[in-house]
Amino acid sequence: MRIPRAWLSSVLGIALAGVYVVPVYWMVATSLKQPGDVFASPPDLIPSPVTFRAYADSVLNSSGVLRGLLNSTIVGIATTALTLALSLPAAYGLARFRLRFVNTFLLLFLVVQMIPAINLALPMFVIFSRLDMVNSYTGLVLANCSLAVPLAVTVLRPYFLTVPGEVVEAATVDGCNQWSAFLRIALPVSVPGIVTVAVVSFLGAWGEFVFALALTTKEEMQPVSVVLAGLTNAFGTRWNDVMAVSAVVALPIFLAFLFLQRFVVGGLTAGASKS
Amino acid sequence: MIARRSTGAATATGRPPNRRRVPLTAYLFVLPAVVFLAATVLYPLVFNIDLSFRDAGLRQIVTGDADFVGLDNYAEELANPDFRSALAISLIYTVLSVGVSFACGLGLAVFLNKTFPGRNLMRSLLLIAWVLPTVVSANIWRWILDGTYGLLNTVLGGLGLLDKGVFWLVEPTSALISVVTATVWSTAPFAMILLLAGLQSIPETLYEAARIDGAGPWQRFSRITVPMLRPVSMTVLLLLFVTTFKTFDTIYLMTRGGPGDATTILPIHAYLEAFQFFRFGTGAAATTVMLLIPLALSLFYFRSLRREEAS
Repeated sequence: MRIPRAWLSSVLGIALAGVYVVPVYWMVATSLKQPGDVFASPPDLIPSPVTFRAYADSVLNSSGVLRGLLNSTIVGIATTALTLALSLPAAYGLARFRLRFVNTFLLLFLVVQMIPAINLALPMFVIFSRLDMVNSYTGLVLANCSLAVPLAVTVLRPYFLTVPGEVVEAATVDGCNQWSAFLRIALPVSVPGIVTVAVVSFLGAWGEFVFALALTTKEEMQPVSVVLAGLTNAFGTRWNDVMAVSAVVALPIFLAFLFLQRFVVGGLTAGASKS
Repeated sequence: MIARRSTGAATATGRPPNRRRVPLTAYLFVLPAVVFLAATVLYPLVFNIDLSFRDAGLRQIVTGDADFVGLDNYAEELANPDFRSALAISLIYTVLSVGVSFACGLGLAVFLNKTFPGRNLMRSLLLIAWVLPTVVSANIWRWILDGTYGLLNTVLGGLGLLDKGVFWLVEPTSALISVVTATVWSTAPFAMILLLAGLQSIPETLYEAARIDGAGPWQRFSRITVPMLRPVSMTVLLLLFVTTFKTFDTIYLMTRGGPGDATTILPIHAYLEAFQFFRFGTGAAATTVMLLIPLALSLFYFRSLRREEAS
């Protein structure tokens, strides 16, 4: 009786997975429909004919959406770079050395992640207004990093804890100073963690909404998340267009998901220190 | 080019890491991040508290000469029916979402703890919902819940559960249920992952011993799984509460806090106060009060954690 029971679980599993797959499927299906077919009743479960018109109209031929995608890419890359530059040494320092206040730091980094974004977005808007940094990439990047850096340190520290102390010791005996031991030994063996944090930082900035909404007032500076929010008002019921833009915004997440799963497994088997 | 420095000699003699000899460079590793967070987190938070004691409108924001008004903004907000309603709705929305999300997450974790064909695929599929940007999932929900052409009404109608379309986001109660559903959809997989890790850390021998002693499946769940899962459950509940309490995107995109103020939770209220009505002083007061709730909860959590470790 064991096998039928396992298959029963599979059937229930498919039903539960459906709760998660159907909304995503519905986004893609709607984006591939002709405008008139979107309002068919009952709705066509499979779009026929399949058309990429919504992508052409609302993404490729929409300067607002293209500009939003460009803005999000710039902010995402800069946020990732700054987050890594700050969090890699910090996470290494907190893992490698018995610093005073290590636990206090770690607790503070955890607490910072609990702060609602609006609590920072409101004062940042006022501060940036005076510094003329509203509607600037710099402002958006600083805001995004304020929440990305604590998360990155929390994720990276365990990776550096697994770097064997003996390896770093050996390097310092051979004449490496602390910085080159960090750059030449700790970083190369922590690549899976670094990639994970880079992807998480980029995607966090890519989908970020509160800072983007509060700190940009000019359309040409808005990240794609805010542009997308504006579309649902402007387009009203043009759901195929809204779903096409949504799918494009979701695309990096799906790609990262496919790529990261494989990468992390690869990273686990790579094992830099052979004992 | 490896720069030669004498710090290596000091650490090479002792076992790493060594408390007595922490090289000064060690602090330099941490310094940039600490300075950065002091500037981008601590300073804005302090600035915000200062702002909450001032009469700051749009003009004062630019000129920077907002008058000090003491606790006026707090008095004004606490007497403001909009703020009180937002506080109440925040608590209802958060408690409902956390409760349902935890229950669903636990159910999924128990289910996925068994082996069956397709288990790994299913776990991956659930995680996609968790990583999907909320701006995307909120739009999908708006479309699915659409009163005239939405998929949900079609499915429920086809099953004979509805005889006419429900405008889910137009009625106050159903709008609240809708945003709770969208929230749970995104957060339940996160709860599932943590709870699944907790389940897998329970030794199989406990269940075997209970089975030998004649305990049924329900008894094994209530007498072994539930108590063994208590610590990780506390963590999951805290994290769910904190993340749900600060929700903004999902509600802003699905309902803009409406209809009326039926789904206006505190972050939405604070946003509207500052960025729509340009009352930055009262907005700052609202956000400061709002910060107290997750802060108090995490303090309580860390204290109970320490007490549990001590005993």
